Amino acid sequence: MSQFSETEERTELRKAVRAFAQSWGQDYFTGKARAGEKTTDLWLALGKNGYLGVNIPEEYGGGGGGIGDVAAVCEELAAVGCPMLLMVVSPAICGSVISRFGTEEQKQRWLPGIADGTQTMAFAITEPDAGSNSHRITTTARRDGTDWILKGRKVYISGVDEASHVLVVARTEDHKTGSLKPCLFVVPTDAPGFEYQPIPMELVSPEQQFTVFIDDVRLPADALVGDEDAGLIQLFAGLNPERIMAASFATGIARLALEKATAYAKERSVFRDTPIGAHQAIAHPLAQAHIEIEMARLMTQKAAALQDAGDDMGAGEAANMAKYASAEAACNAVDRAVQTLGGNGVTQEYGVAALLVATRVMRIAPVSREMILNFVAMHSLGLPKSY
Amino acid sequence: MNIVVCVKYVPDATADRQFESDNTVDRVGVDGLLSELDEYAVEQALQLREKREGEDIEITALCVGPEKAVDAIRKALQMGADKGVHVVDDAIAGSDSVATSLVLAKAREKIGAEKKVDLVMTGMASTDASMSVIPAMLAERLELPQVTFASVVESQGEVFRVRRDGDTATEIVEGRLPMVLSVTDQTGEARYPSFKGIMAAKKKPLETWALSDIGVEADQVGLSASWTAVEGTEARPPRTQGEIVTDEDGSGATALVDFLASKKFI
Ligand SMILES: Cc1cc2nc3c(=O)[nH]c(=O)nc-3n(C[C@H](O)[C@H](O)[C@H](O)COP(=O)(O)OP(=O)(O)OC[C@H]3O[C@@H](n4cnc5c(N)ncnc54)[C@H](O)[C@@H]3O)c2cc1C
Ligand SMILES: Cc1cc2nc3c(=O)[nH]c(=O)nc-3n(C[C@H](O)[C@H](O)[C@H](O)COP(=O)(O)OP(=O)(O)OC[C@H]3O[C@@H](n4cnc5c(N)ncnc54)[C@H](O)[C@@H]3O)c2cc1C
Repeated sequence: MSQFSETEERTELRKAVRAFAQSWGQDYFTGKARAGEKTTDLWLALGKNGYLGVNIPEEYGGGGGGIGDVAAVCEELAAVGCPMLLMVVSPAICGSVISRFGTEEQKQRWLPGIADGTQTMAFAITEPDAGSNSHRITTTARRDGTDWILKGRKVYISGVDEASHVLVVARTEDHKTGSLKPCLFVVPTDAPGFEYQPIPMELVSPEQQFTVFIDDVRLPADALVGDEDAGLIQLFAGLNPERIMAASFATGIARLALEKATAYAKERSVFRDTPIGAHQAIAHPLAQAHIEIEMARLMTQKAAALQDAGDDMGAGEAANMAKYASAEAACNAVDRAVQTLGGNGVTQEYGVAALLVATRVMRIAPVSREMILNFVAMHSLGLPKSY
Repeated sequence: MNIVVCVKYVPDATADRQFESDNTVDRVGVDGLLSELDEYAVEQALQLREKREGEDIEITALCVGPEKAVDAIRKALQMGADKGVHVVDDAIAGSDSVATSLVLAKAREKIGAEKKVDLVMTGMASTDASMSVIPAMLAERLELPQVTFASVVESQGEVFRVRRDGDTATEIVEGRLPMVLSVTDQTGEARYPSFKGIMAAKKKPLETWALSDIGVEADQVGLSASWTAVEGTEARPPRTQGEIVTDEDGSGATALVDFLASKKFI
């Protein structure tokens, strides 16, 4: 990024996705969520227009763009009220990992479906005793002939019911040292021994989170993504995209909240004929929210640019910072939007309160605010490791 | 088959409309876009190509408008058109539909000089001036048959058969290439530019022509050469508050009927 604006194509992509998403709108999204239904038709339409898989290589049915492009799609969708949680997971995490490390055969098998939305891939790393501390993952894979036998438990896994496969982070035993090392497996959601139960969440979202039970699931040798010894690098290849996408998801929602708040503040007058937006107590918090959102977007774009330029390390720091800044900006923006709308801020009709939990989650998942601060303290500032 | 689709760049209908001191639409100071109704024409051209798989079908988006109007062409290219032709010349500013149709016709002739044009497609009307006369004027100037207001387009070889939905009757009209065809918003939703379409659009050929390139004299167009003139413009009056009939003693129904009668609704 040699200049402080996105390319013309990226801008055009945002415009096209925004117009497309507006034809679906927030009412469609929340309507589906509240009815306990899925937004599969929107998902497939996104795939058909090539928006879902913009970051997937062209030879596998994608757009051949970068993480910055798919993040732009994610942000614009959220900004008009259609936040697609599974975009963070399917094309961004799974798509990136498989594009980079999958064998030719694996790429051909999984990427086209991820790109056009006909096959969605969930991502499972979190375990009951391994959330922030992913070193404690206990899901293990052992060899049985050429097959793998996978056993373990995962929690909070988004969209398992909508997915055809789950990319599961597990461990295998190192033949030489006996120590456990991470490995990534693609597990079909209909595999015998693979079961899942929804976790009731206070989220207005068509996507649900699940506890996943993996009970001696037998997998063929090629369910292991890429190389058995490259698990850790593979995992990291998915984490920057995940953070960049989560950041875009958050700033998109933040923009929606701020747009609703400013529109309301211009119209609503309480004392005399002055619109409430004329009061600095209303205007300044909204102006601050705008500044925070724009700063978070800029950092997100920087992280994406570094990632797309192949600078994984540089992108790692920026992606973490972007994720942190976006979650903070989003929480603040929604909180202020609720305040601006007064009682209307809590109604279903105005669609703001529903964003409260959605944005609050961004301080926790996919990586918590504290873990980012730990990372920055240690890696950026060189402070002693605290955990 | 060689198709030319006429696409107009219009002020965004959701934004405030502004006029210049000579009562022409301010097309420079406002955000514009490809006229929504022309998206349907582009869509129909693209669908035609998709339906007639295997045929060599080239689609050129033609626009007459100020510099920013190139955005309308770009959108058409993103949707899938192959080429763009933009006629831009200061002298064109303020042209009415008669003058605009001259420029379009001459541009279409120049396109045809390189490769015979079989079909000229347009929207049913522009979303700004919305006169709905350009297709007919174009057909007249190009000495081509016109099939207008098509809501369903079918074709086989040289023959096009369209449905035309009127207020009282539906007509099926057939025409043979070459011709001018205008389509309505009933033809089916226009696609959104895909990511690949956006990336590809930048590499597609786009030519910019001045009046001299198409053999039109400056005094044949523009405000002074226009047959029509806009004498004044007025903003639509704000909506007035409705009348609320409260019924406390059973007189509500009578009051309602009186109101409707006074407005000559009944
Ligand atoms: C809506 C939603 C969707 C999700 N989707 C997925 C998914 O699709 N796939 C998946 O794998 N996971 C998913 N998750 C799980 C998510 O990634 C975890 O919740 C997250 O990583 C935090 O882990 P935890 O919940 O176990 O919290 P814990 O690790 O138990 O942490 C609890 C609190 O302690 C803090 N803390 C922990 N250690 C330290 C320390 N050393 N210093 C300071 N503070 C500390 C944390 O920051 C946090 O605030 C999802 C979660 C949610 C809420
Ligand atoms: C109130 C008013 C103000 C005007 N102000 C201006 C002005 O400021 N500047 C100015 O240049 N003209 C101005 N005009 C002229 C107006 O732009 C022309 O009438 C117009 O170019 C053609 O007529 P239409 O828009 O009614 O087209 P219609 O006949 O309604 O359009 C039918 C179809 O013709 C095609 N088409 C029409 N125009 C173009 C085009 N330019 N390029 C490509 N395809 C086209 C489209 O496919 C369209 O769907 C004004 C007209 C009016 C009535």
